Amino acid sequence: MDTIVAVATPSGRSAIALIRLSGPRSVDILRSLIHDEQFTPEPNRVLLKRMITEAGEVLDYALVSYFAAPHSFTGEDMVEISCHGSPVIVRQILDLTQMFDARLAGPGEFTLRACKNGKMNLTEAEAIRDLINARTSAAAVQATRQLSGELSSALLPSKQQLISVIVTLESALEFVEDDLPQVQLAEMQARLAQIQVQIKDLADTYSTGHLLRDGIKCAIIGRPNVGKSSLFNRLLRLDRAIVTDVPGTTRDSLTESISLQGIPVSLTDTAGIRKTGDKIEAIGVERTHRAIADADLLIVVVDGSTELLPEDLAVLSQANETSHIVAVNKCDLRQGSDIVNQLSRQSRLVHLSALTGEGLSALTAAILEPFGRVDSEGAGLLITDSRHYDLLRRAQHSVGQAVELMDERAGEELVLIGLHNALRFLGEITGETTTEDLLSEIFSTFCIGK
Amino acid sequence: MAFDEVFDVIVIGGGHAGCEAASAAARLGSTTALVTLNLDLIGQMSCNPAIGGIAKGHLVREIDALGGIMARVIDRTGIQFRLLNRSRGPAVQSPRAQADRALYRKEMRATLESTPNLELRQGMVVDLLVRQGRIQGVVMQDGRRMAAKAVIIAAGTFLNGLVHTGRRTYTAGRAGEPASIELAETLKRLGFPVGRLKTGTPPRLDGRTIDWSAFESQDADESPVAFSFSTDRIDQPQIKCYIGYTTNSLHEAIRENLHESPLYSGQIKGTGPRYCPSIEDKVVKFADKQRHQLFLEPEGHDTNEVYLNGFSTSMPAGMQQRFVRMISGLEETQIIRPGYAIEYDFVDPRELGADLQCRRVPGLFHAGQVNGTTGYEEAACQGLLAGINAARRVQGRSAFRLGREESYIGVLVDDLIRQGVDEPYRIFTSRAEYRLALRHDNADARLRRYGRELGLVGDQDWERFNQRRDRIAKIETALHATKLKKSDTAYRAASEAMGGIDLGDSIALSDLAKRSGATPDMIFRLLPHDVQTTTDRSDLEGALADNLYSGYITAQKAVVERLRHHDSAVIPARLNFRELNGLSHEMVERLERVRPRTFGEARNIPGLTAAALSTLFVSLSITSEAA
Repeated sequence: MDTIVAVATPSGRSAIALIRLSGPRSVDILRSLIHDEQFTPEPNRVLLKRMITEAGEVLDYALVSYFAAPHSFTGEDMVEISCHGSPVIVRQILDLTQMFDARLAGPGEFTLRACKNGKMNLTEAEAIRDLINARTSAAAVQATRQLSGELSSALLPSKQQLISVIVTLESALEFVEDDLPQVQLAEMQARLAQIQVQIKDLADTYSTGHLLRDGIKCAIIGRPNVGKSSLFNRLLRLDRAIVTDVPGTTRDSLTESISLQGIPVSLTDTAGIRKTGDKIEAIGVERTHRAIADADLLIVVVDGSTELLPEDLAVLSQANETSHIVAVNKCDLRQGSDIVNQLSRQSRLVHLSALTGEGLSALTAAILEPFGRVDSEGAGLLITDSRHYDLLRRAQHSVGQAVELMDERAGEELVLIGLHNALRFLGEITGETTTEDLLSEIFSTFCIGK
Repeated sequence: MAFDEVFDVIVIGGGHAGCEAASAAARLGSTTALVTLNLDLIGQMSCNPAIGGIAKGHLVREIDALGGIMARVIDRTGIQFRLLNRSRGPAVQSPRAQADRALYRKEMRATLESTPNLELRQGMVVDLLVRQGRIQGVVMQDGRRMAAKAVIIAAGTFLNGLVHTGRRTYTAGRAGEPASIELAETLKRLGFPVGRLKTGTPPRLDGRTIDWSAFESQDADESPVAFSFSTDRIDQPQIKCYIGYTTNSLHEAIRENLHESPLYSGQIKGTGPRYCPSIEDKVVKFADKQRHQLFLEPEGHDTNEVYLNGFSTSMPAGMQQRFVRMISGLEETQIIRPGYAIEYDFVDPRELGADLQCRRVPGLFHAGQVNGTTGYEEAACQGLLAGINAARRVQGRSAFRLGREESYIGVLVDDLIRQGVDEPYRIFTSRAEYRLALRHDNADARLRRYGRELGLVGDQDWERFNQRRDRIAKIETALHATKLKKSDTAYRAASEAMGGIDLGDSIALSDLAKRSGATPDMIFRLLPHDVQTTTDRSDLEGALADNLYSGYITAQKAVVERLRHHDSAVIPARLNFRELNGLSHEMVERLERVRPRTFGEARNIPGLTAAALSTLFVSLSITSEAA
């Protein structure tokens, strides 16, 4: 196994940057970096050391820690170097480590090594996959959370309750001759209702969570010449789309990815919607319709300096089906008379100027509104993986079936099907509950046996 | 080698596994010898005098469907038949019967003695003859050598048996019978991984010294449900059993004297069954429980002996006598036989294939407690399977196996050979993934044809089965074809009987039957007349159960399939398990032994932990990404 190196903190200027080494040569490399071949670090202690260049000059003062295998994140020998966050210093230290035989790590390679060394379970492994694929910091935070077993822990109370209901019902079926307490139906039902709510609450976070992973698909739409492409360029901070004052300049949909405060947004500029005889423009309009259908969020641009035209209203009514924001553009110009009144029904209205950039932060805030509780540190756990979402929904549905059957006074053996299925689905996330586990639970709960 | 006698198959042990094994092998045409220490104790019930119960009753009916003998013998000797869980769903109902212990032995011996090709031999097997890795025969304690192409070990608790009563221990296979020490040593010498288990039994009381009025009586069912599909009626007169309770002062006395119990003094090393705890265990582990239930079960028509079910103990005999007298109604009671605990050797069942043959010594089969199971029914079904496969091996036929989805026997064997045992293994309905499909009453529909194809089901039984199957099919057709319209008087009557609920414009009997409140009697009255005349109660109940569960079974299969979607992930042949450094040495060995080709196969490897599977899964994902 070779020794890998990577910068763990985001690139760019920062106060501190963290460089990590993992592999059998980690300590050797550290010795070379500090020019001290005798240095024997004590594990898990932080020491201040001088990083020295090949020429013998002090490059930086850095905090170094050593984690001995297998008690490290990857399970291998690891060294962490916290240096000053200048890109130049970071670059030089990285170059030195490579000179001393470290290899620049591939995406997620540290986590993969951790996995290989048995440091994580299946859910955590899935989180790694997300982490590797995470395009933005907010998505990475969520992936990291799953990695720390938060998803499993969040599901644990539901799972334990479910097991206790199963144990009670199974015992009633299996040990008829034993002197067991009477099954309290109402109590079982109440517990199952509670489990359903817990699972549903978690599953519901997917509507936001999946956007973190997959990004928000956002389309800018409107009638021709209201400033869609200008807004697109402004959000991109690039002159990406051609902007003229000729209506219908944009013939085709253009898509670019941006990151708004850590949330991935895939932004599509579209051809203005109008009836047109132009064959190419007509194809463009057709593509716009497709973009609308695909989008999670629409930004409907209207021209605030004139009256609303019938074409504007047509676009607005098309947008009604989807979550949308109305961007009243050209607020730098004199405003049209009653545009605000006409749009007052629209809850999310943003005045802006694509030309000057005025009101752009309000637009960003509106786009990110659903993530309000996400990007701060105290935010709740979100389901980001469609497989987890699917499993939670199935679990919830299975518990629901069991509750229905219980209401109909169906036999325990039928009620138990739903409960066992729910447990299997949760088990796909948290780890399997075997028949032996259930039996152990039964025998420790009830005094069974003649 | 010179032999005194030559057989195709030799069965060691005349308990429940041995009897089924010998009977099956002989009836399949193999000359068979059943070797036992005492011919008078063939078919002995060492512990409680009862057969069946939840899931165990299922096993007995499966044995019968395949052509085994246990069900027929208990039907002739059962003195209290009860269908358990009668008020619950058909899938979890199960027959149970109290046996007349002596009659059961007599009937079993008579059954074996009337079996062609089957010889009974008294004696102790001390050695197995193995040549070029294959079984050749056995050596008896008296020096006789008997040749066989297949040998079945069904020695119960006799292998290195050690009885404990208080601090006293002595070697024995059962109280009063010698242990089989040399044979146990032979197994170790052959390299089998051997472990130690423990079981226990309660004291037997003199019925004349019991004040029966202090107990609550429990009657047999009015119309007994038989175990065998061939039994028309139960002839034995039916008796009552009695239920009583322990008291807190008794619990106190037991707790004060725990140091006298070999279970708590550290003297017993073997693991006992959790679902069959001793009274010592009950009062220690469930100290809050104010009383523990006891059953007084008469041992037969012609004896005063009474089995004190629920009071398994290995306390000193004198102390047992004192404790029993602290139970209300037993103040004057005299113990006839004290209870005891017994430790014995078992062989890791992961040594076996699904045919119960040892991979280590081809031709050698293990059945019953030697495989770590407990229970007469568990033993008998293994004996049957081993007997069938021993005969088939001798005849050069392919092995006969049963799947988890078609039988409890399949579940039991699969659990044993894949997971091994940590404590005596007992069957439960919750061990079956497809519990709804494995009913006691449809064991014939599931397994009869196997019994027929094997050659264990005779013409008469086969004809009987076909008729029953046709009758049930006829009812099922009628259930779907018969529809009640809102204008029918029958519709109104049905709706009223079910509390005046709306049943739609019209409803098929098959749907009506699934509604809660619809009774079998009501459905019976709604069946066309010609179907009614050919239908008996058990046919109707079978058809209604099929009707009730069919949808659930289909849905359940879909769920299980879906959850196994990872199973097709391929494990590259070049993958070196030793390089997956998250795996313990033991896990690597298990993987290397099986060399699974897919993740699904790996998942089925006995004893592979969830953590090991995750590690494997992750490394498979990484490999496939890299490729």
